[in-house]
Amino acid sequence: MRLWRKPEKPKRRNAATPIALFLGAKLLAYSILGIFLGWIGSVLQLSPYSRAALQIGIGIFMLGTAARLFNLHPIFRYFIIEPPRFVTRFIRRYAKNNASTVATPLFLGTLTIFIPCGVTQAMMVLAVGTGSPLLGAAIMFAFILGTTPVFFGLAYVATRLGEVMHTRFLELAGAVVLILGLVSIEGGLNLMGSPYSFSNLLNAASVSLAQASGGSPEVAAQPDANGAITIQVYNTGYSPDLIKAPSGKPVSLTVVSNGTTGCTRGFVIPSIGYQRTLPETGQTTINIPASAANGNLRLHLLDGHV
Amino acid sequence: MAKQVFTVKGMHCSACVMTLEGLEDELAGIRSLKVSLHKQRAEIDYDDKKIGEDEIRRAFEGKGYGLARA
Repeated sequence: MRLWRKPEKPKRRNAATPIALFLGAKLLAYSILGIFLGWIGSVLQLSPYSRAALQIGIGIFMLGTAARLFNLHPIFRYFIIEPPRFVTRFIRRYAKNNASTVATPLFLGTLTIFIPCGVTQAMMVLAVGTGSPLLGAAIMFAFILGTTPVFFGLAYVATRLGEVMHTRFLELAGAVVLILGLVSIEGGLNLMGSPYSFSNLLNAASVSLAQASGGSPEVAAQPDANGAITIQVYNTGYSPDLIKAPSGKPVSLTVVSNGTTGCTRGFVIPSIGYQRTLPETGQTTINIPASAANGNLRLHLLDGHV
Repeated sequence: MAKQVFTVKGMHCSACVMTLEGLEDELAGIRSLKVSLHKQRAEIDYDDKKIGEDEIRRAFEGKGYGLARA
């Protein structure tokens, strides 16, 4: 008979499980938040001009966030929204007093939506700007999924390498937010039909350069004798993308899509307040009145890209 | 009892605020600790017989932040 029993090894606490639960809950919570933000954007989306104003506002917020990350001036600290003190206190005390390895990380992961950092806040306003619950969720999902390991790794490295690395990390994040802010403002200006967007200024400059160098600028299509013209919609753009019509005469514009599934289906003519998602396959006729057919009419995608 | 306003260095987001306000529970002698991200300041109400300014500063530095009298 064997009296001696080998002592059981103490169970090793699995640290990966609570981390995975925390990150999973955070990912899910932010995706659901993205649905809500996209929905808010869709409610706010009244016209191309209101959408343009929203996009420009989002761009300015992002530029302010970038300036804060670059530490340009103390005033830019106000571009981050501080959660109420009772929220942060509750999260802190809950984390301290609850040791469950399943419920606590799940709950805390969900609560992170109440303490977003500046870059995350910038993504949240970008999700509002999409005007679509699906796209809003996709932006937040992709951002949280993509940045979790990057932020974790960089933060870990930054902690180890000190202040210089930390500053570089903030500058890198600032540069990314700066670019996103500029893209958002560019889209807003295009949606407004402004000739001062970067792409329109670039187009104007290239035409001027072509004329100055004696070359011929891009050949413009012209409507027929009845003022009708057809544009083909592809996944990558429109053809023709330049139309020259006589001023003061109405134009009947027929837009033809054939198995088109890209973002080119979102079709906007800001100056006549026209905005529509084109059918995947079909014809859409837009009558541009004579009064609107003076000067330049710009056609855009729904997100403001030309 | 002492109440002092300090300038905090190195805060970037509300998680930093939460981390520092957690010192209220960790350090004996701290009655209240309010941190403002916008102003980059901490308003600390503490019992100077139980804890000194140097000890509070070291605790902030231990979390990766700087602390100086405003």
